[in-house]
Amino acid sequence: MVSGASTNIFVGKLKDILEYSIEEPLNYLVNWGRLYALWPVHLETACCSVEWGAVSGPRYDIERWGMLAAFGSLRQCDVLVILGTVNRKMAPRVRMIYDQMPEPKYVIAMGACAVSGGLYFDSYSVLQGVDKIIPVDIYLSGCPPRPEQLIEALIMLQNKIRISKIS
Amino acid sequence: MVETSNTESTLIEREQKLAADLKSRFGDVLEITIKSKRIKIKVKSERLLDIANYINNELGFDHSTSVSGVDYPNSKEFEVVYHLSTYGREDFRDIVIAFSTRISRDEPKTLSLINIWPSVEYSERETFEMFGIIFEGHPKLEKLLLPEDWNDIPPLRKDFKPPGR
Repeated sequence: MVSGASTNIFVGKLKDILEYSIEEPLNYLVNWGRLYALWPVHLETACCSVEWGAVSGPRYDIERWGMLAAFGSLRQCDVLVILGTVNRKMAPRVRMIYDQMPEPKYVIAMGACAVSGGLYFDSYSVLQGVDKIIPVDIYLSGCPPRPEQLIEALIMLQNKIRISKIS
Repeated sequence: MVETSNTESTLIEREQKLAADLKSRFGDVLEITIKSKRIKIKVKSERLLDIANYINNELGFDHSTSVSGVDYPNSKEFEVVYHLSTYGREDFRDIVIAFSTRISRDEPKTLSLINIWPSVEYSERETFEMFGIIFEGHPKLEKLLLPEDWNDIPPLRKDFKPPGR
């Protein structure tokens, strides 16, 4: 009954069972930890940063949903909110900032300029959408978006994190 | 109200006086167009320095507010426009001179006026990178605003194809 082969099968099954049983709660736990402590990078490329200021302030107060106000060091941050127009001179710098951020990292492209170039889509100096240089999680339209839209984008991002797998 | 109309008329008179002075001195090498508060002086590129020196020293237009370029691909020319105004002379303080010259599009070279108006330094650099016009005698003719890795023709020329169009 207890032979080498059957022991191997038993250990293999046990590993599967343990993985199945622990993956779901571990996923939940890690995602829950990430959900409500999103640290944004303080990178203001254009005028959408005014709306970002409004949303950090007491009237809209995005901290209620778990995104903190803008913070100093980008090496400890999770979310890169592209606040408006990214021009071609800025593009390598944005990419450098994105590369310096630790995993997991999320990007919100805020405003028409960050999504597609917006008003300046045929300009020689403006990037046609920030997704040409970095992967974007949430596209947020508007020129500029209302603070409520930014809150909605945050909730969408949280839903995305909630269903993501950690392994 | 009477005073306002008086100053308006004297503005035109002052402009005409200024234009007449220039015409009498450099009549063969320039065209003058007069509008309210604006005089356009178009000179031949050989006499650029002479006339600029005269406008600076004798007429008192002591600083340049902008340098810009205009592209005329049909006649194969660039026009370089210096906008000049004055702090020193009170009677010309409300007049802006648009001082321009035309140069060949195939060989876009003109003399830098940085020794006459030092404030043209950055404007000439910008015109250099946006149109590719070379200002001879400029001490630092390098890129100013464009990306460091710009690898295309100057972007404000008419034959530049912007992305997305």
